Amino acid sequence: MKKKIVSILLCTAMVASMAVGCGGSGDSGSSDGGSDAKTEDDAGGGDDAAADDGSTVGKNTFVDGGTEMALWTFQELHVGFYTELADKWNEANPDKAINLTVTTGESRTMQSKMLMACQSNGEGAPDICDIEIGNYASFVAGDYLLPLNDVVEPYKDDIVMSRVEMYGDGDNWYGIDFHLGASVTYYNMDVMNEAEVDPASIVTWDDYVEAGKVVLEKTGKPMCAVETSDYFLPQLMMLEKDAQYVDEDGNPNINTKEHAEVIEYIRDMIELGICEIAPGGGVHTEEWYGHLNSGDVASISMPLWYMGRFTDYCPDLKGKMAIYEVPVWNEGDTREVLQGGTGTSVLKYSENADLAKEFLAFAKLSEDGNKYEWNILGFDPIRTSLWEDPEITENADNKFLSYFQTNPFDILKKNGTDLTAPNISGGYAATAAVLFSTTYANAFELDTETPAEELLEMEQASIVYDNE
Amino acid sequence: MDMKKKSTVQSVLLFVFYLIVIIITLLPLALLAVSSLRPGSELMRNGLNFNLDWAAANLNNYKLLFSGQNSYFVWYKNSLVITVVQLVLALFLSACVGYAFAMYEFRFKNLLFMCVLLVMMVPTEIILLPLYKLTIGMGLSDSIWGIILPYMVVPMLIFFFRQYLSGIPKDFLDAARVDGCTEYGIFFRIMIPLMKPSFAAMGIYQGMQSWNNFLWPMIVVRSADKVTLPVGLQSLMSPYGNNYDILIAGACFAIIPILILFICFQSYFIEGMTAGGVKG
Amino acid sequence: MEKKSVFKKFVYSQKVAPYVFVLPFVLTFLIFFAYPVGSTFVMSFQKVAAENTAFVGLKNYKTLLNPIFYKALKNSALYMVLSCAIMIPVPMVLAAMLNNKNMRCKGFFRSAMFVPALTSVVVAGVVFRMMFGELDGSFANQVISLFGKDPIIWLRKPVTVWIVFLLLCMWRWTGVNMMYYLSGLQQIPGDLYESADIDGATGWQKMRYITLPLLKPTTVYVLTISIFAGMAMFSESFLLFNGSTNPNNVGTTVVVYLYRMGIEQNNYGLASAIGVILLIIVMIINVIQLAINGTFKKGE
Repeated sequence: MKKKIVSILLCTAMVASMAVGCGGSGDSGSSDGGSDAKTEDDAGGGDDAAADDGSTVGKNTFVDGGTEMALWTFQELHVGFYTELADKWNEANPDKAINLTVTTGESRTMQSKMLMACQSNGEGAPDICDIEIGNYASFVAGDYLLPLNDVVEPYKDDIVMSRVEMYGDGDNWYGIDFHLGASVTYYNMDVMNEAEVDPASIVTWDDYVEAGKVVLEKTGKPMCAVETSDYFLPQLMMLEKDAQYVDEDGNPNINTKEHAEVIEYIRDMIELGICEIAPGGGVHTEEWYGHLNSGDVASISMPLWYMGRFTDYCPDLKGKMAIYEVPVWNEGDTREVLQGGTGTSVLKYSENADLAKEFLAFAKLSEDGNKYEWNILGFDPIRTSLWEDPEITENADNKFLSYFQTNPFDILKKNGTDLTAPNISGGYAATAAVLFSTTYANAFELDTETPAEELLEMEQASIVYDNE
Repeated sequence: MDMKKKSTVQSVLLFVFYLIVIIITLLPLALLAVSSLRPGSELMRNGLNFNLDWAAANLNNYKLLFSGQNSYFVWYKNSLVITVVQLVLALFLSACVGYAFAMYEFRFKNLLFMCVLLVMMVPTEIILLPLYKLTIGMGLSDSIWGIILPYMVVPMLIFFFRQYLSGIPKDFLDAARVDGCTEYGIFFRIMIPLMKPSFAAMGIYQGMQSWNNFLWPMIVVRSADKVTLPVGLQSLMSPYGNNYDILIAGACFAIIPILILFICFQSYFIEGMTAGGVKG
Repeated sequence: MEKKSVFKKFVYSQKVAPYVFVLPFVLTFLIFFAYPVGSTFVMSFQKVAAENTAFVGLKNYKTLLNPIFYKALKNSALYMVLSCAIMIPVPMVLAAMLNNKNMRCKGFFRSAMFVPALTSVVVAGVVFRMMFGELDGSFANQVISLFGKDPIIWLRKPVTVWIVFLLLCMWRWTGVNMMYYLSGLQQIPGDLYESADIDGATGWQKMRYITLPLLKPTTVYVLTISIFAGMAMFSESFLLFNGSTNPNNVGTTVVVYLYRMGIEQNNYGLASAIGVILLIIVMIINVIQLAINGTFKKGE
């Protein structure tokens, strides 16, 4: 009997490994990105990406005598980006060629594991790694990253610096993002037209609420949704008031007047019926995507990298969505802030740190890099020159531009480069964990009676952060 | 009402009641199977339910699964390798230990057996972090040995083998010694053949544990190419890349081999997975 | 040569052989259990960092005096109690029914009940997460709509989350627990019932005075594993909520909190303190259980 079990197990093993042999192992590692690109994950606390294209390890075209370099990411789509840019780098710098190996990590705990590797004196750590916004402060606090000031300097005038400065501690900048992450409002024009409201006429949040009342009355649909397990809407409203979740020293500071105002404002919208709790509790859940795709909500304010979610999950909305500037508190305010992100950094354990830094800046800040990011990944370029390049901004074949009725570059051009970015230092991760699990769930869904100030006082008390 | 009639009524009632219980029990798996024939986008819009348009049902999800355009079979292979290696190691080593506890008298025996019971009692989640630090320190993080080594000797198996062997008279050993068998010869030539039936049941117990293990592999593994099946399936549910096409079909295909094995070797499965309770 | 044979003789001697056999256990026990447990204790008094790990006294334990940890403790305890309260009587009754002499198709029912136990917690979690999705079309909402109820947001409201937790637990473990009871029942000698029949005992009396007492060892075993599984609950919550954060910590158990603090937020000292507290709780339960069983045994 036992023999039988063993032989069946062996057969199963063989069948499985054969299947792997003909399929999985085909090294589709290099730059295949292609048309079905998915946008990256961004949000504050969450992580991640699906291992769905099999390219878990990627290499560029190796060059004899090139310097070996290792890079970790948690998103397969970044593999193609890095390997292609490595080839471009080698073309431009044959004397400093690199042989890049990009490894995709199992996403959920990738960041913590990298931090662990750093704590063990860089045991097995790569040269370069992608770090998610929420975890950044831990790496900076541990002093594991190298300042990138010298390599960013040459690009300084061509890019939006607040996106780079946010990955720093004031004097030094340690990380470079894939995108600008400018927040915009996506309107479903079918709903807006039915309600006969022109999104272009909405400037302030009060306008937005008034428009929401009309939309609700005429279509029965809510104007917008708020998350209980993420923070994009409240954070947007706070950043517009120049308020942050942590103070200047990085200490958690969610019990602020501005935060309470924002919560009460959103609560009023919910009360009026013009704001709903996002199905699934967040705008990255299956329930929400289904809801959005069915055209059951009039608008949603998210950063531009959210475009990829529309192209991937909302095929029915193609040609129906329009992108407009976010509403603001007072007429005349800058109608753009930065949200979400992934910073890429060079670890101090790298043996070829200078080369790694130069390559990183080239990949993320050069025109080639930014073009790839926009065309394939749908990320709004951090480099301002692309905003003016008609080949980019008026490319009718681009899957993102052709999906939306309006052009996102108009918003970027109009608002310029002096933009507010979130302060992600110190206790940001610990703070976000509380915001995602209790604060907004209580504020908007479970405990809507407690005054915001009182609620925030309790929430502030439950953040566990030790800065000594 | 005579006895016979009464027992027929009882029998029908019991049968119907149980049938309902079974239907409820199998329902989630039936849902999974039905849903694997629908496109993932539809699940996203309508939720998981039995509304299947049979005309539109297809095997596209399975085609995608087998197309090699994803890491599914890499995970599958990793899980298989880990299960087989851990199974063999755990069975052999635990059998050694269980044998010593059952057949020998030696100093610290009771103390050591208390330790076995202690390990059984303490949830391993408690030592998650130091254990992980340790695997890093030993250079085992992100490798299958990091997953296997800490759980190579399984207290549950030791306990079971000890119980099983304690029924064998010790004179047996002395007779073998007189015949010139060494201590190890006795174990390999006499005991292992005797333990065969228990290997089957315990093998299934351990195999199921390894195959379905989730938390520890999730923590140890870092590279996507070393991910095991449960961890990989879970990663498909990540908030930024829900991939239901593969997730549902993949979940189905993860159960199928076990289901087949179960159908063939039911009694071993039941014995193995309820091993602890057999002896009360 | 000489040396080797002395060594060989030593290893092969009857005195030494048992130590060789238990060596694998001793090694794994010391390396992968005793050492980590010890270091958990040590770290719980430390602030752990890459370069300057420092002792901070009871600070981590003081930090644990926060509402979220209390809630996690409460959740774990509640889960443990509720799962024990359900997972003992239900499988017992099902097993008794299956063991009834008038039952047909026993083999099939027995196997079918066991099938959920074969699925991994990941598959189970995925299915339940979606069955209890908040869409109108999700299975659970379709079912309650048959009774004229409006769709429910199952996984974001305290009571319904617990219903889903318990259903998931029942689904996975009823078959296994039932099997324990079934083998317990089969060990009860049939003539006990026969003589009870002769004495004119009612069904209830037979249950009360024969079945229940004789099933006690099984019940003790099932109770023990349910208690430990309940206290260590992690995966179910992690999968239903797709991560360690959940609305208002309604599904945050002690281990989920340990994971969030240790793995996700890298606060090793605090996570170790959570581990120590969990260890103490488990040990207390152990002692209580041993004491109760011990006294019972004396009584019999």
